[in-house]
Amino acid sequence: MARGDTPMTRWLLNGQEVENPTGMTIMEAAREHGVDIPDFCYHPGLSIAGNCRICMVESNRSPKPIIACSERIADGLEIKTDSDVAVEARNSVMEFQLINHPLDCPVCDKSGECILQDHSYTHGPDRSRFVEDKNIRHTKELGPTISIWGNRCIVCTRCVRFCDEISGTGELCVVERGDRAVVDVFPGIPIDNAMAGNTVDICPVGALISEDFKFEARVWNMDRRDSVCGGCARGCNIEVETLDGYVKRLLPRENLEVNDWWMCDHGRYGWRHLYSENRLTTARTANQELEDDSATSTLADFVSRAKKVAFLIDPFLTCEELSLIHGLSSSIPDSIVGGWLPPKGTAEQFPSGFTISSAKHPNRRGAEKIFGSKVFGKDGKDLLKALDSRKVSTLIAFCGGPAEEGPGSSWSEAIRKARKRIVFSVMDGDWLKGASLVVPATAPLEKEGTWINEDGRLQRARSCWKPGDEPFCPELVRLQQVQMACEIRTRCLSAAGVFRELAENIKAFSQHSHSDLGDGGLPLSRRRARVDSKGGTR
Amino acid sequence: MANHDDASEKQDETRTGTTEPRKKASFALPVIKGLANTLAHVLRREPNTIHYPEEKRTPYPGYRGEHRLKRDELGREKCTACFLCATACPAFCIEIVAEEAPWDDREKRPRIFNIDMMRCIYCGMCEEACPCDAIELTPIYNIPSRTRGEKIYDKEKLLSL
Repeated sequence: MARGDTPMTRWLLNGQEVENPTGMTIMEAAREHGVDIPDFCYHPGLSIAGNCRICMVESNRSPKPIIACSERIADGLEIKTDSDVAVEARNSVMEFQLINHPLDCPVCDKSGECILQDHSYTHGPDRSRFVEDKNIRHTKELGPTISIWGNRCIVCTRCVRFCDEISGTGELCVVERGDRAVVDVFPGIPIDNAMAGNTVDICPVGALISEDFKFEARVWNMDRRDSVCGGCARGCNIEVETLDGYVKRLLPRENLEVNDWWMCDHGRYGWRHLYSENRLTTARTANQELEDDSATSTLADFVSRAKKVAFLIDPFLTCEELSLIHGLSSSIPDSIVGGWLPPKGTAEQFPSGFTISSAKHPNRRGAEKIFGSKVFGKDGKDLLKALDSRKVSTLIAFCGGPAEEGPGSSWSEAIRKARKRIVFSVMDGDWLKGASLVVPATAPLEKEGTWINEDGRLQRARSCWKPGDEPFCPELVRLQQVQMACEIRTRCLSAAGVFRELAENIKAFSQHSHSDLGDGGLPLSRRRARVDSKGGTR
Repeated sequence: MANHDDASEKQDETRTGTTEPRKKASFALPVIKGLANTLAHVLRREPNTIHYPEEKRTPYPGYRGEHRLKRDELGREKCTACFLCATACPAFCIEIVAEEAPWDDREKRPRIFNIDMMRCIYCGMCEEACPCDAIELTPIYNIPSRTRGEKIYDKEKLLSL
């Protein structure tokens, strides 16, 4: 168990001698050995408060049980997590926590993922001796997206510490004392920082409720997929929760290399356009709507007969889709490729180190790796010029962003000058009028593939769609079908298969594969140790 | 039977020497009893069948027929859209969409509450799961319809039963 030069402490956990790095808390150390100590107020990303007392364990150094979240391990320390004293202590704390907690689990949005529910089931007594009336505390809006249901609050102060330490905005505080204590905001200062949504996630009970998700679904009915947020170049790791194939909410997923435990509200609530009225879901030519299959064959027809083709790519496309576009463009002689970038947004940096990127797109780095670093710069300008001088006869444009006006004014004008234009777009808008072929495109959250974030980390995004229940053919498949029609491909592959081809063709990706990336992704320049030993490093 | 005492069995065998053949069972008496029962039914005056559409049988207590949603003393639906019935349902025939309740004492109520009676297996699990005593299975058993669509009961229909 020796970890380099880290000094180690030997201590006794439930009668077994164990070793952990010196300075660890009992709770963290015990969890390393697979012993779970329950918690409410403890969160690995926040400071230690030690106010919920559920993590009490028996120690040989103290006449009373001690709290495992704040006490640190020491040589010769003997901790029992399941002795009579510890069990009794936990039992009493649970009974105490439940004194004023209402039994409204059936209407509470947290139920099913509530830590209080879980601990009550595992550690709590099966009945309460409390006969007095329960306290009533306030239910009110704390900000535009968050409400508090005070009766449910157990005053763990996770949310208060989050606002103090992580977002650094300090809107929340605990008001009143004793059993009337409850979380509140200062008068006239609502909680509206860009990370506020995280307070709902870290609330161990259903006290903080997201207005966006309120009464939307019960959590046990939803499907979860690990994915990556496409809202900015940061690429926060997220969990996408869907009900019947429709996104219901996004939650952050722990990745200490990228986003710790958090995500920003822009990403969290930035999926509503997927189901807006102006979402493009059917393909159409200039004068008629098309079935999904005939859209693909029409597209293949255009591509195979085209001369002087230009491709306009966007930074929302995955590396796999870009690889397919690369395959198509290199099979057509004299084709040119340029890229457009959405306008810059505001960047934000929080005291904890969490950053929101000003680049509001997920995969600029990936496109630059595949098409060269000038694809959004000089190549883009060249393409714009070529369009302006009407040198392009067929343009295939991609617009995966949430904006209805497409790639923006200068591009929209230029695109109109192409004789035939084929547009893959997420949203329907005026700029699509007169296009020879409009094809519905997948938005971030619907794409299956990989993105490279601004730090050069290759991460896997997964589609929220139910397999076999896709509303339309995703580009990943459609582009392969077009390649098959153009006879430069023999069979249709999955995202992992396309990535394998990409790794063969483009040096930057050669060390990676989908299975290698795991849940948290890898820096593009580095690969796993396992692979290192086989083939050497670059 | 697994814990049969082998030692005592052996002792029995040694005492009797051989295992005796089992006594032949006499079926005569039960057969006569059964025939007597049949005869009694044959000779009974009133018939067992009823003239169904005109006459209706009263179901036994606990009979599980069509569902209904109950109302509270103010006439509002009792259901709080907690989805426990839909969760308990083994046939996945309950569809609920929740909305915010307009009343002060209640937070949530169903905007849509559909039961697909064609899919329902009338097991009564929904009734058992309900924490608000809002859904129950009535003794109504004559439930034909002309179309399948009619058998998907919405909230209004369930409340009116």
